[in-house]
Amino acid sequence: MGHRDIPLLETKRLILRGPTAEDYPDFKATFASYRSRFMGGPLTPYETWMLFAAEIGHWEIRGFGMWMIHLKETDEPVGMVGGWQPSQWPEREIAWIIFPGKGGKGYALEAVDCCRRYLYSVKGWEGAVSYLDPKDLDSVRLAERLGCTRDDAARTIDNNDSAYRHPGPAALANSQLADGIALEIAHYRDPLFRPEGWAID
Amino acid sequence: MTVQTPVTAIPEFEAGRLRYRAPQMDDFEPYHAFCASERSRGVGGPYPHRAQAFERLAGLIGHWALRGYGRWMVADRETDAPLGVVGILYPEDWPEPEIAWSLFAEAEGRGIAYEAAQVARRYAYETLGWSTIISCVKPENTRSAALARRLGARPDGHHDHPMIGRLHIWRHPGPEAL
Repeated sequence: MGHRDIPLLETKRLILRGPTAEDYPDFKATFASYRSRFMGGPLTPYETWMLFAAEIGHWEIRGFGMWMIHLKETDEPVGMVGGWQPSQWPEREIAWIIFPGKGGKGYALEAVDCCRRYLYSVKGWEGAVSYLDPKDLDSVRLAERLGCTRDDAARTIDNNDSAYRHPGPAALANSQLADGIALEIAHYRDPLFRPEGWAID
Repeated sequence: MTVQTPVTAIPEFEAGRLRYRAPQMDDFEPYHAFCASERSRGVGGPYPHRAQAFERLAGLIGHWALRGYGRWMVADRETDAPLGVVGILYPEDWPEPEIAWSLFAEAEGRGIAYEAAQVARRYAYETLGWSTIISCVKPENTRSAALARRLGARPDGHHDHPMIGRLHIWRHPGPEAL
């Protein structure tokens, strides 16, 4: 069979790496917890194991999938991000989950920004959506920071979710939005960060 | 860009009338038909939604990456048409690794499952070097129970699965008995 290679992506703070058996305990802990409530969880150990196996198989079948997000400095896993499209998904999705206790550090913003640029520039995606539970306010807010807008005309998975449409490659290139995302990521990395040559009030 | 190791490497071979190969997207429609049908009742189904069948198909591949063994898409040696899913299954909440078989409707009545289950058992004993293996069968799945018996397996207790319910454990004869 034609094996798929999972690319390794890096940002300033993060390494995105394909899921392996060593990542299963963190995945299991997350999907056993209330944290997974917007992703069909909490799940039983059996369901969790089958889902994790499917995360890996997704890469083989689609040629893209979910990466594990690791902190560069400690290798600690903090969540998952990537492209996701099971059958019945109307469009290709950019999906994310941050593990319990790892939120609020801007990891999801940094990881989604990185993976979105990869999917656009290397995989040739012309756009993407994220299917969000309207009650998942953290994710809705993240989508907005990433420049997504709610697309009420788009088909959703089961009508209980909203489709948030990502800006396409052209809209992102050299945009104020892209600069704003980069600036926000830089501030998470270094709260005292001051960009040089920028007008600051 | 650094490229990571491959997702998984599934051993592929031909034996008897059948081809044992990695599941692929081309298998989706027949596999979905199986998952959505009454035939999947023995494996916790029916799973009516396409998303469920996709997740299970992807899971077949991921199982190999996580355990180092798994289930093959068993295909017709001549036409490569998929006939069923046979191999070694060991998810969580499972008593031990088992030889599992799921036959698509059109493959029925030709001894395909019998043939493939023997190949999977030989793989467990000879390639993986195991000394014992079981098969789990739902009590009402009399046809699979008959196949387990035909394969020489004997009842060996049960396992209460939190989602699928009671599973009868059939223990296969060990490598020395074969």
